[in-house]
Amino acid sequence: MNRNLVETSTVSDSRPRRAARALKHGAALVLLATLAACSGGGGPGVTVNQPAAVSGVSSYTGPAAQNADVLAFQLNLWVNISPANRCGGCHHAGGQSPMFARSDDVNLAYQAALPLVNLTNPSQSMLVQKVGSGHNCWVADPSACAATMLVWIQNWIGSGSSSTSSILLEAPPVQAAGGGKQFPASATSGNPSFATSIYPLLQTFCSGCHSDSSLTPQQPYFASSDVNAAYIAAQPKINLQTPNLSRFYQRLADDMHHCWATPSSNGAPDCPGSAAAMLAQLTAFANGIPITPIDPTLVVSNALTLAQGTIAAGGSRYDANAIAIYMFETGQGSTAYDTSGVTPEADLELSGNVTWVGGWGISVGAGGKAQASTSASSKFASMIQGSGEYSIEAWLAPANVTQTNAYAVSYSGSNTTRDMTLAQAAMQYQGMTRSSVTDTNGMPALTTTTADGAAQAALQHVVLTYDPVNGQRIYVNGVWTGDKDTSGGGSLANWDSTFALVLGNEVTGQRQWQGVIKFAAIHNRALTAAQIQQNFAAGVGQKYYLLFGVSSLTGMAQSYILFTASQYDNYSYLFAQPKFISLDKTATVPGGLQLSGIRLGVNGALVPAGQAFTTVATTLGGANYTAANGQLLSSLGTVVPVTLGPSADLFFLSFDQLGSHVHAWVDPPVTVAPPTADNTPQPDFGIATFERVNRSLAKITGVPITNSAVNAQYQTTQQSMPASALISAFVAPNQTAMGQLANTYCAQLLANASYRDAFFGSGLDASLNSSAASFFSSAGNRAIVANALVSNAVGSGVSPQTATAVTGEVDNLLQLVPTLSGYGNATVSTATQAACAATLGSAAVMLQ
Amino acid sequence: MNVRTNTAQVHARRARHLALAGSIVLLTQLALPAHAGPNEQAKRIYERLAGVPPSAAVLAQMANIINTGCGGSCQPGDPSLVSAAAIATAASTAPTFYNVTLKNWVIPWTNRDQTVFAPLNDYAATVIGMVRDDVPFNTALSADILYTVNSGGLPAPSNASNSHYATAEANGVDLSSALKQTTQSGTYGTPTAATAGLLTTYAAEAAFFINGTNRAMFRFTMINHFCNDMQTLEDTTRPTDRIRQDVARSPGGDSRVYLNTCVGCHSGMDPMAQAFAYYNFNGTVGAVMNTGTMQYTSGQVQPKYLINSSNFSYGFVTPDDSWSNRWRTGINAALGWSPSLPGSGSGAKSLGQELESATAFASCQVTKAFQAVCFRAPVSTTDMATVASITSNFQSGGYKLKQVFQQVAAACPGQ
Repeated sequence: MNRNLVETSTVSDSRPRRAARALKHGAALVLLATLAACSGGGGPGVTVNQPAAVSGVSSYTGPAAQNADVLAFQLNLWVNISPANRCGGCHHAGGQSPMFARSDDVNLAYQAALPLVNLTNPSQSMLVQKVGSGHNCWVADPSACAATMLVWIQNWIGSGSSSTSSILLEAPPVQAAGGGKQFPASATSGNPSFATSIYPLLQTFCSGCHSDSSLTPQQPYFASSDVNAAYIAAQPKINLQTPNLSRFYQRLADDMHHCWATPSSNGAPDCPGSAAAMLAQLTAFANGIPITPIDPTLVVSNALTLAQGTIAAGGSRYDANAIAIYMFETGQGSTAYDTSGVTPEADLELSGNVTWVGGWGISVGAGGKAQASTSASSKFASMIQGSGEYSIEAWLAPANVTQTNAYAVSYSGSNTTRDMTLAQAAMQYQGMTRSSVTDTNGMPALTTTTADGAAQAALQHVVLTYDPVNGQRIYVNGVWTGDKDTSGGGSLANWDSTFALVLGNEVTGQRQWQGVIKFAAIHNRALTAAQIQQNFAAGVGQKYYLLFGVSSLTGMAQSYILFTASQYDNYSYLFAQPKFISLDKTATVPGGLQLSGIRLGVNGALVPAGQAFTTVATTLGGANYTAANGQLLSSLGTVVPVTLGPSADLFFLSFDQLGSHVHAWVDPPVTVAPPTADNTPQPDFGIATFERVNRSLAKITGVPITNSAVNAQYQTTQQSMPASALISAFVAPNQTAMGQLANTYCAQLLANASYRDAFFGSGLDASLNSSAASFFSSAGNRAIVANALVSNAVGSGVSPQTATAVTGEVDNLLQLVPTLSGYGNATVSTATQAACAATLGSAAVMLQ
Repeated sequence: MNVRTNTAQVHARRARHLALAGSIVLLTQLALPAHAGPNEQAKRIYERLAGVPPSAAVLAQMANIINTGCGGSCQPGDPSLVSAAAIATAASTAPTFYNVTLKNWVIPWTNRDQTVFAPLNDYAATVIGMVRDDVPFNTALSADILYTVNSGGLPAPSNASNSHYATAEANGVDLSSALKQTTQSGTYGTPTAATAGLLTTYAAEAAFFINGTNRAMFRFTMINHFCNDMQTLEDTTRPTDRIRQDVARSPGGDSRVYLNTCVGCHSGMDPMAQAFAYYNFNGTVGAVMNTGTMQYTSGQVQPKYLINSSNFSYGFVTPDDSWSNRWRTGINAALGWSPSLPGSGSGAKSLGQELESATAFASCQVTKAFQAVCFRAPVSTTDMATVASITSNFQSGGYKLKQVFQQVAAACPGQ
């Protein structure tokens, strides 16, 4: 492997400012002494961020630090690593070399430590890398030790600086994109399938914990009784390309995690035997999956995995006053470590429905929370009361924007007692702080405005600050929401130090917040707007620079397409801002080098969704290209799905054109099946809708729609009549409303001689108030009404069956009305109106 | 008993009688065998198109055409039926085709609730006028066209209110004769280049450009003129480069939702809805119709296109109103885009041309007309063939919607 180093782009990073830092700490000690003298024992004690350092320094009896930088080393790093349970256990005076943790002379320890610290890029320091690899890490998670060690080193060399440094891009190994293996579609696919190979081992030996039905359920549930759920959960733990790199195997072989007895072990746990059994099944499963060959016509780059990229140092954060930091790097187990370096570490115990999220983070579901012990949490009360200020900072992705009373970060004792809380209330964020101007529940709360819609179901940087002047302020994505705390600021002297820090819930478990937390920090200062903006700009999670080799396509030495990439969440990667660049600063871009259509591929296949660079089309070189920064191809980013998992997914790029290499992209042909006919018989008729009813009645009766009585009735019943002609949607209230309107029209028809005569002729005029019983005893008189109704409502010569039916019904009705109880004296007008309304409100008119 | 002095009692009893009698007659009618002669076919065609029963004279006129052409009743689709249907769509013999049927056909397209119980507005009036005057409907989403009501006592049409139309409806103005063709540029002062037919009417802007991100205009255009809501148009294989910053890539921390669902709509919608980047409606949301003023900021992207930019900072930042139709390939190529158009452009007018030239646009108009007249969805083999045939006629015959209504009425005349 040929690895070249070259300085290329620049990013913001921290730089040593030792002298200034030392002076600052010296000043802090003086201030501490002054404040202690003034406190007089009353009120809360005043504490600086590193209480362990103070006690350690006080017990040191060797020669004094020779200069400010040695003092800074002593205060920030040496005091933390010199105890016997850390580096001092071996690297002490007369012990194992180098003796950077010796306690006899801090100046000698300083000299020994200098070679172990990378002042340009502290994260690359030997001290960080050693503990990060598991070397004498004092907690269970080496990444937590590394993060903590990094904080101590940064505190020593000065993390407050905002100067910039260069990132060294390292050429990745040359790998052909080749083909790759893809997980079969289902748990029962493949030969052997997951269900018949790996799953039986998991279910037999791992279901005691890694199953949702376990008494002590622990995510991921790859031993679930539901094989399909288990399959999905197991995929990230299986490396199809290299089975012995599978997590399932490594946990048994290397970590000796929950090994089981084998036939040859006489009942004792047999880790080699267990690991071999697991590896056999992993290998069988992987061997049964054919390699998906890459399309040979594609124009492709070299390939690499995420881990083969150059780690991006990230923007510099402002953490000078951080008293707890949770980066959620661990990725497994039930503890999220506080890597602030400030003791006591307020590590979070994950309980209930809390799962780790790829790319650093935890996902809190219903019933989940992450809580620190009350003893460790007491540092928040003591340190924040001392400063009178605080900030809660978090990268949150709320699961939804409907949850209310949802406490994302809280330092509290119950549903009604708290010191500080950052909460979500639908699309609003809330801050609650106990102070001299609020109650013990932090009320009244500060709530962002509804119109602002501050909370979104997307990853957001949220900061709640508190200071004695402004009270609480909430910043979202680096910007103050503008909502002022009407309570203002006050004293925090009434804080309760017996509370616990809890994320994703209240300590009672009754204020559930659901979503993803990718970072959280507590500061004992109110971060300034500039500091918040700085931390927002620094982003969250681990990022990589991925260099996709294209030298063979461009003819330009050490040329690459550079992507900034990271694991975005459990299910996707982020690829952003591709650049064309050469690590050979002397190389020149060939003239007229065309690039178009970049497509991302993984494991031999182009990703099916999320291709955002297919429209890139540019000529490389010229004024757009510089040897130092390359040439930006797109300012966009996109997310593409995780396939085999972050450790195994092998990425490559495909191009429509790069130089003389062309692959004319043609969208795969898509055959759209014509809609399937449904020949189920449908009604051939429908109901007259509201305005059709009104207009029909007007046309039949001659009463205009502007008639005040019918218009009033129409306005009243309009929306009770059918809005759709569908007979299947017709309901009884429709019929009632139509009948009422028909009745009104008929009333107006009979009340107005002009309308009435035009409709019935004059045969009724003289008898309107006569007895219906008498008048309609005559068939001829009944025919006056019946014939008029049939003629006008049904039509002449139309639907004889309908006409006959209506005639018969009307004839019967006119005779029936006077016989009804209470209607013995019904008049001709009344009976005629009833017959009219019955006809006009019937299917003869309303059915179309 | 005097009706006028005991109204409540009479009404109560009448209602009982009406329910009884109405039910009996309704059942009788439903039980009748379906046999339609020329009179019955004429009556049905007229009622389906005009919404009201025909006069005796018109019925006779139509029945005569049918009888003469077919020697009795006609088979569905017979040209004689189409000729008879022309009488039921003529302003002189069937004004309610415009005042009732067409109006209620269009009104649901003009508001987000898709309710038919909304006042008359310029969108509906323009469709009615275009149908009456046989204005080619494949200009409906791009032309500088507007219909106003030529009647006394109405507020002037304006870009700040639709009361001109609502008042005309309340006054019972006959739209079949009172509608007058004019232009949006002349009436509203909208730049001619910024007019896009129905899309830039006051009603459409009030409903779909108010608040939000202007994607509603695209979605409801798909619903109303392509007969597809976004769910049926999803295609996750399209490039994602034009999806704006406000679309979360990992909603609730789960990017599968974005990749499997959000991408399906936004990859196609966002590049096309960009055509509306200079439009806004400054107003207030009302119970049925919104009130306010239309706004067009030439060359300046509306702030609503840039909101929630931190949801995904690597997302697309809208620089102008250029649009691109990514659905010309993939499964939505089946919508039948015009090969004579480039598939990209700037502004709502050219996007409107892209949409109104698609086969799916024409097919949707026919489908909607079929449902309005035949009272059923065209899902049977026969009905699907009918719609396809009428769509073809619609496209080749100058996009005359009136003829579409006549043809679909002839397709379901009863037998």
